[in-house]
Amino acid sequence: MGFSNVASKSRIRNAARILSLLVSAGLLLLPSIFKLDGKTHADWQQFLGRFHPLIVHLPISLILLVPLFEFAGRFRTSLREAAVVMLSLSLLGCMSAVALGYLLAYGGGETGAGITRHMWSGIALTLGVLLCLLLRPFWASGKLPGVYPGLLGCVFLLMARAAHQGGSLTHGDDYLTQYLPAPLKRLTQIRPAQPVLSVPDSFYTEHIHPVLDANCVACHGETKVKGGLRLDTYALLMKGGSDGPVVIPGQPEKSVLLERVMLPLDHKKFMPSEGKPPLKPEEITWIKAWVLQGASPTVASLVGVTINEKFRETGLPQVGDYSGRMAEIVRVEKSAGVTLVPISKHLGDGLILNTVNASTTFSDAQLAQFESFAPYIVEVELGRTRVTDACFRTLAKFTQLRAIHLEGTLVTGEDLAQLSQLSHLTYFNLSGTKVTAKAIAPLSSMKNLRHLYLYNTPAQPALAAPETLPVARSSL
Amino acid sequence: MKQHPLCTDTEHGPTILDLPIQHGLKMEWAAMQTRRHFLGKTGKVLGWAAMTSLLGGKALRGDAYATDISVSAAVPLKLPHFAPKAKRAIYLFMSGGPPQIDLLDYKPNLLQLYDQDIPDSVRGSQQVTGMTAGQSRFPIAPSHWAFKQYGKTGTWVSDLLPYTARMVDDLTIIKSTNTDAINHEPAIMLLNTGNMNSGKPCLGSWLSYGLGSMNDNLPTFMVMLSKTNPKENNQPVSSRLWSSGFLSSEYSGVGLRSAGDPVLYLSDPSGVDRDVRRKMLDAVDEINRQTYEELGDPETNSRISQYEMAYRMQASVPELTDMTSEPQSTWDLYGPEAREPGTFAHNCLMARRMAERGVRFTQVYKRGWDVHGNVTGVLPGLCQETDRACYALVTDLKQRGLLDDTLVVWAGEFGRTVYSQGGLSKENYGRDHHPRCFTTWMAGGGVRPGITFGETDEYSYNIVKDPVPVRDLNATILHCLGIDHNKLTYKSQGLEQKLTGTTPASVVTGLLA
Repeated sequence: MGFSNVASKSRIRNAARILSLLVSAGLLLLPSIFKLDGKTHADWQQFLGRFHPLIVHLPISLILLVPLFEFAGRFRTSLREAAVVMLSLSLLGCMSAVALGYLLAYGGGETGAGITRHMWSGIALTLGVLLCLLLRPFWASGKLPGVYPGLLGCVFLLMARAAHQGGSLTHGDDYLTQYLPAPLKRLTQIRPAQPVLSVPDSFYTEHIHPVLDANCVACHGETKVKGGLRLDTYALLMKGGSDGPVVIPGQPEKSVLLERVMLPLDHKKFMPSEGKPPLKPEEITWIKAWVLQGASPTVASLVGVTINEKFRETGLPQVGDYSGRMAEIVRVEKSAGVTLVPISKHLGDGLILNTVNASTTFSDAQLAQFESFAPYIVEVELGRTRVTDACFRTLAKFTQLRAIHLEGTLVTGEDLAQLSQLSHLTYFNLSGTKVTAKAIAPLSSMKNLRHLYLYNTPAQPALAAPETLPVARSSL
Repeated sequence: MKQHPLCTDTEHGPTILDLPIQHGLKMEWAAMQTRRHFLGKTGKVLGWAAMTSLLGGKALRGDAYATDISVSAAVPLKLPHFAPKAKRAIYLFMSGGPPQIDLLDYKPNLLQLYDQDIPDSVRGSQQVTGMTAGQSRFPIAPSHWAFKQYGKTGTWVSDLLPYTARMVDDLTIIKSTNTDAINHEPAIMLLNTGNMNSGKPCLGSWLSYGLGSMNDNLPTFMVMLSKTNPKENNQPVSSRLWSSGFLSSEYSGVGLRSAGDPVLYLSDPSGVDRDVRRKMLDAVDEINRQTYEELGDPETNSRISQYEMAYRMQASVPELTDMTSEPQSTWDLYGPEAREPGTFAHNCLMARRMAERGVRFTQVYKRGWDVHGNVTGVLPGLCQETDRACYALVTDLKQRGLLDDTLVVWAGEFGRTVYSQGGLSKENYGRDHHPRCFTTWMAGGGVRPGITFGETDEYSYNIVKDPVPVRDLNATILHCLGIDHNKLTYKSQGLEQKLTGTTPASVVTGLLA
């Protein structure tokens, strides 16, 4: 071939220009010819499409090098020619990346605002690079001095935008800002997205939505919608995807959502796809139970499902800091021969008044000594001590109390009503005392008192003995 | 030539601080140096070192001891790590390995597979014990007893356990417990101490060390052995199982005897009144304190506190073991056997009394579950001895309001095989050790009542869902008592030792309330 021939060289150049203009026009029309319909298409499209994240990095680095070479070209002209090569290769890379990206979205049935934005950014970037290439000769010859550098700047901004959008699609919206230091976060006013939810304390809001949000919404959310399915709100979850609903209330076995997350890990249709971590077994159990019991957005709890709040805050009401009063505490402990035991190493969890070492001497007077520590005491163990009904007057001032042990004491329950102000009280043990049904009646108004023990009292005589059961010898 | 560290002049050569011993001990040594110098008694290193070797390394162990026994160990350790659900635990130890297939792990399909060989695919390449390795066949032995559903949860329970059946809604049944050991001693050590080799502290010692005592007059950790039945195959249990290992020996379990005096020589001999005993103890304490000043062995302090504890137990144990104040309803609940000291039922009642009095950890051993043969002959007896007592304990704790903050654990060291050891007939069979799965249960503070956790395959041979290895079981028990198993550690032999060992363990959240 006669590459030395100037005429044929310029002919090739012109042909390349026309071709690239045609291809660009084609790219512009692509979205209107093949609409992103949220349905998956041929496998080969997805196969090729998945090279998009690989190819897309080539033009990025090439475009970054262009101004560097242009600048270096001031000192060495051969580098300036290299800049043209870079720009041409960038254009080629951009076109391939756009084409592959479109295949990825179209083949994989991805739709959504984020996808669309990213697509247009990519196309605009390609056009920008093309314009650069076309206008550069005018800049080189000095006809239009400012246009090419300005355009190059625009290309840079476009590229940053497209790259960031692409990154957000792959890694999630808050990928960059997730670990942003808190002061900066406040400054930039980035807050975790709070989707509008139907009922604040419902099982859906508390347990189903967080699971979907953490595992599914990256691909089935506002920014990226695969298979036409969005899971970021209750309404959209129930609406389903391009192939119909994914949740059928009352029928977990027919709900596609559950079917997909329960497939074998290596199954083609397993969700979450692309090697993302599978849902935890208990999460699947919650979804299953929720679907089975009607998939309601409002119901607060489900039969047979207890959610473990293990590593969350205990939710116990907290008491004040008593560390400054340790000397006083030790003094009163010594004088009464009992101990104030911390519930845990967290001061706020409060203290237990433990009297087991002085049960034969501990009486109402000793209890009164602890009155000044009442704000820190959450449990009193007075079982088998010498306290009497007079203790209720003192205990009524222990407003933080969650548990009272009075088993085996002399109390009869007179004036028990004084305790009805103890709003935190959940446990009250009066076993083996002389309390009567009448005496405990005022306790019925205490909403939080869930464990009231009256074993072996006039209020509740001992249970009838179980009959002796024979052990089976044989069943055959 | 380099001299041996123990033979050199301590002023110039390596000192005690250079010896490869525990850090705490070195600190103690350093603290004592000033007093030593003041007394002009240098050069005692040799004697000290000789003492440690005489004591067989005992002195090299603990550094956690309290000179003032009223100071709770929990304060410096900053425990519990978080607000606990349970303050105390009762561990019903079914030594020998109860057969899960005959008790709680219901496998109805096995009836059709009677006398068929267990498929190789199920057994895999597992090495079986020497007791069945010579067998040419491994015929499936379905349970001899029928199962029925009980409670609101519809849990299947064998006819052998009519009382346990009544409380299934209060139980947290774990069908997927599994262990690494196939023989009694390593398995029982693993369950108790988290390690198959002896020398590590057991669960009760870790709890005593970590949480301290609630009642100054009773030991923090008590152990009761139940009387053995000569018809049963009783495997030995020994004090290694309630040993404090490298922790100070004051955290060891204190055993109550099953017959005669619960604690030997606890009552004063005739002619010795309590004042005389006190004077004697004061004198012994004084001598011991001098010994401690001289030699600095922390075990001396443990010994002092143990003498003091024994003195206080002279008053507290008779009160604890005096059952005359128990009403008739107690005996109706626990059954007539409970009146006889040393029976499992009696020990369960005692465990409840200890829980009432603030004993942190009580372990009740019942031996005889090692049913290698004659299952139909032996198992009903074992169940009769334990079933009602377990039910009575849980029910009693519940009605008295103690189950809210008491964790009850029922476990043996492993399970038993689905295939028969020795001859299989319609009337009888035997079962060999099976570590891959066994059934345990818990009840009370911290665990979720009325659930069955984990699943085994249709042969009760392998676990198909939610395995709970021993270390996870122990981590969960500690969690119920407010302890993060990764944080309750003690440095020994260069390692931050813990109950759950070096293999990562995790709390089984599915079991928690």
